[in-house]
Amino acid sequence: MSTAVNPSTTAGIIIGNAVGAVAEWLRQITVRVSGSHNAKGSGVIWRAEGLIVTNAHVADSESHEIELTDGRRVQGWLVARDRKRDIAALAVSSIGLPAASLRSRRTLRTGEMVIAIGNPWDGVRAVSTGIVHHAVGNASLLIADIRLAPGNSGGPLADAEGNVIGINSMVVDGLGCAITSDAVESFLTQAHLAEAV
Amino acid sequence: MASSLVQFSNSLADAVEFVGAAVIAVPEGGREGVSGTLWRDGIAVTAAHTIRGQDEVTVVLPTGEKSKAKVAGLDHGTDVAVLKLAQQTSSASLADESQSRVGEIVLSVGRRGSDGLAATYGVIGAIGGPWRSWQGARVDRWLRLDLNPFTGFSGGPIANARGEVLGIAISGPRRSVMTIPVSTVEGVVNQVLQHGRVARGYLGIGVQPVAFPDATRKSLSISGDRGLLVVMIAPGSPAESSGLLLGDIIVTIEGSPVHGVRSLQPALDTENVGRSITLEIVRGGQMLKLPVMVGEKQES
Repeated sequence: MSTAVNPSTTAGIIIGNAVGAVAEWLRQITVRVSGSHNAKGSGVIWRAEGLIVTNAHVADSESHEIELTDGRRVQGWLVARDRKRDIAALAVSSIGLPAASLRSRRTLRTGEMVIAIGNPWDGVRAVSTGIVHHAVGNASLLIADIRLAPGNSGGPLADAEGNVIGINSMVVDGLGCAITSDAVESFLTQAHLAEAV
Repeated sequence: MASSLVQFSNSLADAVEFVGAAVIAVPEGGREGVSGTLWRDGIAVTAAHTIRGQDEVTVVLPTGEKSKAKVAGLDHGTDVAVLKLAQQTSSASLADESQSRVGEIVLSVGRRGSDGLAATYGVIGAIGGPWRSWQGARVDRWLRLDLNPFTGFSGGPIANARGEVLGIAISGPRRSVMTIPVSTVEGVVNQVLQHGRVARGYLGIGVQPVAFPDATRKSLSISGDRGLLVVMIAPGSPAESSGLLLGDIIVTIEGSPVHGVRSLQPALDTENVGRSITLEIVRGGQMLKLPVMVGEKQES
């Protein structure tokens, strides 16, 4: 079978490959979180020393099964949770994990491309793309024009370079809402987890 | 890493920023505020249904400055309202929407009060020829978008990836986004600025579609499959003064065969107001040509 090349599609192919490359990196820092009460979702390796950030509605118990990208399953212990802000921090005993590089919402522009990774339904670390819908001000929420599913909860929302700008938490009017990385950092500071676990 | 993606991302954000310099907020519009587009120096357009009944609205300019704007006129047919601002403004770069292609990336951009820009993106899913809004107005081109609507998008621009405006976003049925293309908006803005309104034709009749028996159709050489039976004539209407009678069956309008009630719409277009159009009718088993003067519809 011969393969035809349509030169006019080149830019689209390049963009697609680039999305794939960023997604490949984001998969490294995205874990699957399963709580004891059947809550399932995603999480982000926030610090290489074994700190994982997810949503409070995903981290519904004291102990969670964390599945890393390489298939390893480790125990994740709840170390801090804020139900109002819907953020939780879990500790795992593994060290030297690939960790997220962060970006503040303050430098974000409306229209910038965003990439989400999560475990929607049965999809394993599925990628979806969109743009920043609204990012002005100091709100702890960031709204993105992106298609999210329930299993995206707790997973990363990243920019075109793979820097994590937020944690996907809910869908409102068909748009994705993420808790900004700034809000996560301030939560960790308040929980005295900012330095190391 | 992935610099082509960063370039793409930046170019989208640039396009939003570029068109955003001509996007205003209309906080009093609709339930939670709508958007508007600076169309010319000191002239903006927004969604008519969201500011119905108001002579003046407050707008938030791209600079963040609040300003009063006079409602110069509304066109219910296309749902476009024209606002006159108290000061000079920048204005949007208008694209030639006839150059649009299926698959092109488009952005819907709005402004949230003093809170800045909001945007969603998608592609042009299909392009079609002229269509009629459900209020009967002729719209020059059909741009079907695969794009998420968002709170307050109405009245803002639909822009291409260069940030040039293809049209105004209006909410359509089932959470869809309809585009009133540049050429149609231009027509509305010109009409409103010249006459204070967009005139819509009025005949003053109520009709019901009827099918002719084959024999009648043959004997009278009726080319269409249907006629419009006149079941109501408003007192003092153009139809009454032209001598149209109850029971007349309209078979052609300006020579075009009638297919249904919507066949009347072209006769009611702005350019026909004040003009005489020719109806061909069946009356008492005979074909008859009847000139009818098209009046102007009074908006209630």
